[in-house]
Amino acid sequence: MSATNLRRMARILTIEDDAVTAGEIVAELQIHGHQVDSVSSGSEGLQRALTGNYDVITLDRMLPELDGLTLVKRLREAGVRAPVLMLSALSDVDERIRGLRAGGDDYMTKPFAPDEMAARIEVLLRREPAQQETVLRVGDLELDLMSRAARRGGAQIELLPLEFRLLDYLMRHSGQVLTRTMIFEAVWGYRFDPGTNVIDVHMARLRRKVDAGQSLSLIHTVRGCGYRLGESG
Amino acid sequence: MSARPLVGGFSELWRTSTTRLILGYGALFAAWSIMLIGAISWETARYLESVVDRILVQRVHFLAAVERDRLPDLLAASTALDLRGVLSFGLFDADSRYVLGDIDRLPADLPVDGEVHPLPRGVARLSGQRGSRTRGVALRRAGDNLVIVLVRDYGAVDRVGTIIRGSLVWALSLTVIPGVLGGFLLARGPLRRVRGIEAAIEPIMRGNLRARLPLSPRHDELDMLADIVNRMLDQLERLLGEVKGVSDNIAHDLRTPLTRLRAQLYRLQRERPEGEQATLLIERCLGETDALLDRFRALLRISELEDLHRRAGFRQVDLTEILRRVHELYAPLAEDKSMEFSLQATAVPTVNADADLLFEAVTNLVSNAIKFTPEGGRVVLRTRTDASGVRIDVLDNGPGIAPEEREAVLQRFYRAQRGENRPGFGLGLSIVAAIVKLHGFRLEIGANEPTGTRITIYCSALPA
Repeated sequence: MSATNLRRMARILTIEDDAVTAGEIVAELQIHGHQVDSVSSGSEGLQRALTGNYDVITLDRMLPELDGLTLVKRLREAGVRAPVLMLSALSDVDERIRGLRAGGDDYMTKPFAPDEMAARIEVLLRREPAQQETVLRVGDLELDLMSRAARRGGAQIELLPLEFRLLDYLMRHSGQVLTRTMIFEAVWGYRFDPGTNVIDVHMARLRRKVDAGQSLSLIHTVRGCGYRLGESG
Repeated sequence: MSARPLVGGFSELWRTSTTRLILGYGALFAAWSIMLIGAISWETARYLESVVDRILVQRVHFLAAVERDRLPDLLAASTALDLRGVLSFGLFDADSRYVLGDIDRLPADLPVDGEVHPLPRGVARLSGQRGSRTRGVALRRAGDNLVIVLVRDYGAVDRVGTIIRGSLVWALSLTVIPGVLGGFLLARGPLRRVRGIEAAIEPIMRGNLRARLPLSPRHDELDMLADIVNRMLDQLERLLGEVKGVSDNIAHDLRTPLTRLRAQLYRLQRERPEGEQATLLIERCLGETDALLDRFRALLRISELEDLHRRAGFRQVDLTEILRRVHELYAPLAEDKSMEFSLQATAVPTVNADADLLFEAVTNLVSNAIKFTPEGGRVVLRTRTDASGVRIDVLDNGPGIAPEEREAVLQRFYRAQRGENRPGFGLGLSIVAAIVKLHGFRLEIGANEPTGTRITIYCSALPA
C-alpha cells in the first residue's frame, strides 16, 4: 500500500462517437501515461472490449447502433469485469442510477473536466479487491478501522467521526488525485455541487491534525484539481 | 394566492350574470303584465259600462212609451228588482216638479235627451244612498210631457274591473315569484362550476402550467370559455417551455467550450513552475472559469429540478438527521469565520420528502447565510413544529434582505443590490426555490430580529 508512486501503464478503451470528446479523453489519459484505444461505434466497442483485456473502459451513454446501457449490460453478461466509467450528456439522477445499475462503475456528466475524468479513472484502475483490512497505513500514518483510532509516528490523533471518514477515504486511495466532487460524493454521499470552499475547510482541518509538527506532509493539494494523500509531494 | 374565499354567500349569487338576467327579465315581465292588466280591466269596464248604458237607454225609452197610469207600477217594479239599490228613478212633470221616485230633484247637469250622461257631482236621493260613480239618463214622454230620470250607480261595474285586476295581479305574483326563485336556484349551478374552475386555476397560478380547467360534457358557454382558457394555457406552456429551452441551451452550449477552456488553462498551469507571476495569473483565470462553470451548472440544475416530477425518491424523512449533517458539513467553515453556528433540532415528525434534495436545499441556505454574514456573526439552523406544521428555519444576523427584494431573490437571474461583490447569491436560492416547489412545500423569506434574514421552509405539502 505504501508504494504510492507505482505507475503501471494501463490499457484503456474509449468508446465515444464524438471525435472532439474522444480526442480530449485520449490526450488527457495519455498525459497520465496510459495506453488508450479509441473507437467510435458501439458494436465495434463491444467487440474490442470483449477481446481486448482492457483495464478500464470509458463509455459514452448515447451511441449510434448500440446504446451504452445495453453495451455495458452485455459486457457484464459476458463476464468482462473491467471497470466502466460512463460519460453522458444526461445529468438526470435517474439516468445516473440506471447507468450504475446496468453495470457501470462510475458516471460523469458531459461536459466534464478532463482532470476530473482522469482522477476517476485512476480510482477505478486501483480499485482494490474487497479485502477486509483492519489497519490502513501510509508512511507513518496509521488508521485502525476497528478501534477507530489514528496514529502518526506512534502519537495519537483525535478525530471527529467525519474526519475519520474523510481520512479513511483518503488513505484507501492514497497516491491518487481526488477531486473535491469525488471527496464530497464518497464521504458525504451527495452528488451535487456543495459550492464555496466547504470541502477545502474540512481538508484544511484534517491536514492540521495529520501534518501538524511533522517534517513530512502527507496531505497534498493538487493545484486546480483536488487533493492527494501520500508520502511524496 | 388570492385571499378570496372559494365559497361566497348571497352577495356572490347576486353578482352572477344569470341572476341579473333573471331579475331584469322578471322586471320587464312585471311591467308588461301591469300594462296588460290595466288594458284588460279598462276594456272590460268600458264594455260593461256600454252594456249598462244600453240597458238604461232601453228602459227609459220603454218607460217613455207606456201608458201614464201603468208608469208608477213599472217604475216601482224596476227598482224593486234592484236589491242593492243601485238604480234610482225620479218622475217630474212638465215644469220639472217632483212627482214620484227616489230622486226628488231633476239633476241640473243632466240633459233631457234620452242619452246616458255621467253625473260627476252625484245625485241626491231620498233614500240617502250615495253612489261612488253615477250615470243617468232623462227622457221626456211625448204624451204628458213627464220627465223620467233613471240614475245608476256604476260602482259595481268598476268593482268588476277591480276583481279582474286583483286576480291578474295574483296570477302575476304566482308566476314571477317562483320564476325568480327558480332562477336563483338555476344560477347556483353555473356558480358552482365557476368555483370548480377557480379551484382548478389555483395550482396554475402557483406555477403548475400543466393543469387545465375542467370541461363538462354539456359543451355550454362555460365550457366554451374554459376551452378557450385551456388553449391559451397550452400556448403559454409551449412558449414558456421555448424560453426555458433557449436559456437551457445557452447554458448547455456555453458549458462545453468553457470546459475545454478550463482544461487548457489547467494543462498550461501544470506545465508552468509554481509561484511564478504568469502561473498565478493562470490560476486566477482557472478560478474564474470554475466560477462560471459553477453558475452554468447551477442554472442547469435549476432547470433539471423544475423538470423533475418524479416522486420516486420520496419517503418519510427525519429532518433532525438532515440538519445535523448540514451542520456537520458547515460548522468548520463557520468556525473559520469566527461565527457562532448553532443547531437547534428538536424532535419533529417525519416529513414526506426526497432526503438528498432537501439536504441540498438546506445546504444552500446555510451556505448563503454563512457567506453573507460578516465575521463574528451568528447563524442558527433549527427545526420545530408550529401551527402550520414542521418548519426549518435558517436565521442569521447579517445585512438581511430588503422586503421588496424578497420575492425577487428567488428568481433565476436575480442578484440583490447589496452584496453585489459577493458571488453566487441568486442561483443558490433559486435552487432552493425549485426544490421546495418540487416538494409542494413553501419558502418564506423574512426578517430576523433585531437584524438579519430568516428563511423558512414550511414542510407541509400544499393541497394539490
